[in-house]
Amino acid sequence: MKVDIGPVTRLEGHLSIHTTVENNVITEAKSVGEMFRGFEVFLRGRDPLDAQQITQRICGVCPYAHAIASSYAQENAYHLNVPPNGRILHNLIQGANHLYDYLLHFYQLSALDFVDVTAILEYKESDSDLIALRDWVNAETGSKSRFPAAPFLPRLSGRYISDTQTNILALKHYIESLEIQKKANKASAIFGGKFPHATAIFPGGCTQEPNIDHIASYRSLISEVHDFIHKKYLPDILAVAGQFPEYWHIGQSRGGFLSYGLLPFGPELDSKRLFAPGVLLDNTIRPVDFDAIREDIKYSKYSSPSGLTVKEGELTPSTHKPGAYSWVKAPRYQGKVMEVGPAARILVDYRQNNNPKIKQLVDKFVGIAGITVDNLNSVLGRHLCRAISAVVIADFLLEETERIDLQAPFMAEYDLPESGEGFGATEASRGALLHYIKIKGYKIEKYECVVPTTWNCSPKDDRDQPGALESALVGTRVENPEEQIEANRIVHSFDPCLACAVH
Amino acid sequence: MIDRREFLKMAACLSASFGITQFPGIVHAALKKIDPANVPRLLYLQGQSCTGCSISLLQAESPNAVSMITQFSKLSFHADLSATSGRQALNLIEEYISGRNGEYFLAVEGAIPWDMPEACVIGNKPFADYLTAAAKTMSGALAVGTCATHGGIPAAEGNLTGAVSLKEFYKRKKIDPLLIEIPGCSVHPDWVWKTIIHLVQVGLPELVNGQPKLFFSRKVHELCPRYHDFQQEIFARKLGEKGCLFKLGCLGPDTYADCPTRWWNGGQTWCIDANAPCIGCASPQFAAKKNFPFYRSFEQAASRISEDNK
Repeated sequence: MKVDIGPVTRLEGHLSIHTTVENNVITEAKSVGEMFRGFEVFLRGRDPLDAQQITQRICGVCPYAHAIASSYAQENAYHLNVPPNGRILHNLIQGANHLYDYLLHFYQLSALDFVDVTAILEYKESDSDLIALRDWVNAETGSKSRFPAAPFLPRLSGRYISDTQTNILALKHYIESLEIQKKANKASAIFGGKFPHATAIFPGGCTQEPNIDHIASYRSLISEVHDFIHKKYLPDILAVAGQFPEYWHIGQSRGGFLSYGLLPFGPELDSKRLFAPGVLLDNTIRPVDFDAIREDIKYSKYSSPSGLTVKEGELTPSTHKPGAYSWVKAPRYQGKVMEVGPAARILVDYRQNNNPKIKQLVDKFVGIAGITVDNLNSVLGRHLCRAISAVVIADFLLEETERIDLQAPFMAEYDLPESGEGFGATEASRGALLHYIKIKGYKIEKYECVVPTTWNCSPKDDRDQPGALESALVGTRVENPEEQIEANRIVHSFDPCLACAVH
Repeated sequence: MIDRREFLKMAACLSASFGITQFPGIVHAALKKIDPANVPRLLYLQGQSCTGCSISLLQAESPNAVSMITQFSKLSFHADLSATSGRQALNLIEEYISGRNGEYFLAVEGAIPWDMPEACVIGNKPFADYLTAAAKTMSGALAVGTCATHGGIPAAEGNLTGAVSLKEFYKRKKIDPLLIEIPGCSVHPDWVWKTIIHLVQVGLPELVNGQPKLFFSRKVHELCPRYHDFQQEIFARKLGEKGCLFKLGCLGPDTYADCPTRWWNGGQTWCIDANAPCIGCASPQFAAKKNFPFYRSFEQAASRISEDNK
């Protein structure tokens, strides 16, 4: 039978999955991106310095990642000399944005796939937030409303956590995390100007000077987030894993892993990064080559040529193209399907022994869970890899503030060139993010973005290979084929952002 | 060195290039009472959006987001927060839009692709169809963010989808619903949540050009703590310098919003405090034109404007 499980909620944007289910097993899954804006077209002819502003509006969940990728691309195009403080401020802004995004993803976007909200009705203790929640759910479910306790109910049928204490603690942390994510965003906004959509990030630095007033606030906010990550976020993931251990083995993508590396240690973009870049394919790590990326469009709603490199990118929409089922293109690396995101970021780093802290954390938690490193390619693996990333990033950010030189410049000086081109590659919270800018006559001649969810939620390519998410869904057993909570859990583990994917 | 008269000339020159031909007069809307006992049920739908406004709504401080969606409003559906999904979610939306589930307010984030309805689809149906159907049953609509109020980034010059604002969409459909517009890319959470509190506790807020007067009656420049720098002609000469940012292209003189007094992210900061010129994100012409870049020296801006006028 064929079932569309869209619109899939608790993710960014407009995603549907068209599934075929036989004997309660998904035999085919089509990832369908349902919204298009065409950034790469309307960026042409604009001032290059508009780019880090306009491209942030690709995604209001991870705008800072786009600002950073665009800034990197422009730095390359302008041949900028970036002051060390400039890069440190970029890192402080981007790193804090990752922390908020991981918390938002686990608690607001994913937790309701596992946690039983109705358990709150059994709450008998004295926490004021939980009492308020209990009384509200009670009043709602007792009212005549046809949809009581929305948006937390109704929900899909399936098994939820049965242990009341675990549920109640998770609900408490759902509420608390909303306060903590604000602290991470306040921290990044100190140097970004505001969140979402920072105005203070530029190629070569940011316009807010780092002084003790700013740095002390930043450190204090990040310390609170750091504590929450250790005391609540990590334990909560392990608690969910304890109740749903089968999800270490569900949702496995069938391709390679790609990461561009995150948070450079020095002002030069080829500096060693906190998370190493690389391509992990057939158990072998290779360096990233941007020219090995091609975007197929056989099943995407475009009539422009298929298989173009990033530099060649074109975009001609064709809404009724026969056979096309998504606005998302299908990027492939040397023709291979790639998963990007937290699991890719961690695996690519781990296989290179780049960051000892990552190795130590992976080994520790793989041991606790009783799984292998390869099982990080799974629903729970992606959640765990986000938490490991959060631990590593939070520690790094606190150290990074100590490297600021209060007397030194924090913005590059520039004289914009008449022409130039450059790539900017970083890791958004959702994975490998690449921007490319080509400037001619002081204007943007070409701008291309290959975005994390473009990889993960891609449709089939020209050789009919399904995308990473599509491949992870096939073979999944679903109890209720009409609703497929299992498929929803897999989709959510990738944290799709469709505004990013299509842009 | 510029005097006040010269500044006003410059500001008018900027306004002209920004597409504002006349300064808005204050429009007094009729006060439509909404029963305070009847907390509005919000049906929150996203069009051509980036979800930035929704994320901003989660940054609210007093009241915070949890209070807003449980006490001051009933958030019936929001794609980012709702537990429901798929067919079940579509049924819920349909119950509201058909009118079978009583009164509700529609909140819309994002633009509408007028020329290419297939560019925004929810459950195999164009987003535009939901808006047309909802107009018959909703109590009113809240346009959340500059994409919904003016087209914003999706409607930038050269776009392929013919993106339009909610007001323009309804105008072309010859529908005239009660509409409250809250611009900003993204919106400040207070602007939206406190408009909703106003609806609950007082009724329809007073609107200026369709926007709540409470937040959008004065320009960033008027309220700017660096107004003194401007008067003393202490101008930032390059990015990263302090002082009045007008000569780097600051659009505070053309943007109606209370950022300078409200600040962002719980009062932690705001653009100009971070030495970042206002890019006019709450302005009708935000990012609209290719030949009007965000960052300009005044000399550069003036020469481009004169080229345009040729």
